[in-house]
Amino acid sequence: MKDPYEQRVQNQFGGFCTRVLKNEAARIHNEYARQREREKSLDDLSPDELSQITTTDTYFEDEHVFEVLGKSVVVTGDLLAEAISKLPEDKRDVILLSYFLGMSDREISEHMDVVRQSISKRRAKTLKELREYLVKEGFEWPEI
Amino acid sequence: MAGDMNVLPLSVIEEAIKGDGDALAAVINHYKGYIRYLAMRPLKDDYGNEYLCVDEDMRLRLEAKLIHSIVTGFKILPA
Repeated sequence: MKDPYEQRVQNQFGGFCTRVLKNEAARIHNEYARQREREKSLDDLSPDELSQITTTDTYFEDEHVFEVLGKSVVVTGDLLAEAISKLPEDKRDVILLSYFLGMSDREISEHMDVVRQSISKRRAKTLKELREYLVKEGFEWPEI
Repeated sequence: MAGDMNVLPLSVIEEAIKGDGDALAAVINHYKGYIRYLAMRPLKDDYGNEYLCVDEDMRLRLEAKLIHSIVTGFKILPA
């Protein structure tokens, strides 16, 4: 014969556990339903909404490549690149070689078969032209 | 005796209420099947086929809730 106390506790405990699990399961199902209702897949966002929560990397966007003596030179900055591209070819080469490739006037003069002094003069003159052009176009000088 | 296999012994219930780990594990084991049944959810695959799957997340939450309730909420009522 089973102990009536044990029987009673077993019944209470069994009922309690079943109730707890059932209620919790219903609660979780509710929660899932609510989440489904409010959640939106990233794929469904409009481009406008998407732009609010994302960023796009801008590497290489304002970089321009020039060719000098068979080498490619990368110039960063749209306005600067535009100014350089507007220079005549001999002046442009001097600027690129001396400021972007770091060559001395003597090296440039050897490469271009011109005397050194004329390279130096051409460079000074071109720099002035560049400056005038950039000021006219409203170039913002980077802080140094 | 065969019927007793389906019911938890009194001693285990009493220990579980006190928070004994082994006893609680035995209770969880006892309700394993029911918990799995409750945590069953229909799942759609990429081809639109529906399967019934046990939601692991939900299963664990049910287990945790049961343990918590037994320890904090269960009182043996007087006759």
